[in-house]
Amino acid sequence: MSLTAVVWATTGVLFGFGLAIVVLRRQLLAMLLGLELMLAAVNVSLVHHAGLFSDEQALAVVALVMAVAAAEAVVGLSLILRLRRTGLGADSAALTELRG
Amino acid sequence: MIVWAAIFAGIVAAFFAGVMLFHRSLYVSAVSLLAVLLQTGVLFFLCGSPLLAFLQIMIYAGAVMVLVVVTIMAAGSEGERFADFVFPRPLAWLGLAAAVIEIALILARGSAPAPAMAGNSAFQANLGVVLFKPYALATEAVTLLMFLAALAIAPEQEAS
Repeated sequence: MSLTAVVWATTGVLFGFGLAIVVLRRQLLAMLLGLELMLAAVNVSLVHHAGLFSDEQALAVVALVMAVAAAEAVVGLSLILRLRRTGLGADSAALTELRG
Repeated sequence: MIVWAAIFAGIVAAFFAGVMLFHRSLYVSAVSLLAVLLQTGVLFFLCGSPLLAFLQIMIYAGAVMVLVVVTIMAAGSEGERFADFVFPRPLAWLGLAAAVIEIALILARGSAPAPAMAGNSAFQANLGVVLFKPYALATEAVTLLMFLAALAIAPEQEAS
């Protein structure tokens, strides 16, 4: 079994688990963790791509994705804390204000 | 040995991702995500990018996961105490054993070929060149985004 096959399998499994967490769990924090998992899964395949083709641009994209993921986590967590302060809780089912 | 280490890291990462999905405790999910991110750091290293592996561990394990765990503790329900946030001991031992086995597999790679770019410092150095020349605008945009994200946690001012 080659390293490429292992990396692709790991990426697929991790991305699938992340998607399942976002879709199946109702807590906002858990959904945020699922998003982080999906981003990490994509990064694994990008790093492997960079190694295969000596592509520095793929590494640059990974670094940018990591920074964006960190910023997204900060914004998401502050939103969740703010929701908690307003008494709406951290359950996505409770957020119905924008429902048409 | 490198492939075996990658297989092992992938299996451990998938296992902890499963724990994230099926465990009810948010705290256990967060620490399991930390284990997954450490395993992806190992995979980065095995794919030949030690710099990004280090960044992954530093940014996620050192910054983002601390934020996540503090938020979980701050947003916990009223009855929860600090002592209630416990990580199952078998899972902790599994994570520790995985780290030891992976280090052993990497060290025991013997005469097998190293990953494509491992130790290729010129390739890693080109990352900085790419970030600050063709991707300079994107780097600045991400920097601004991180600054705005820091503003998001500032306390809300009372309307006069």
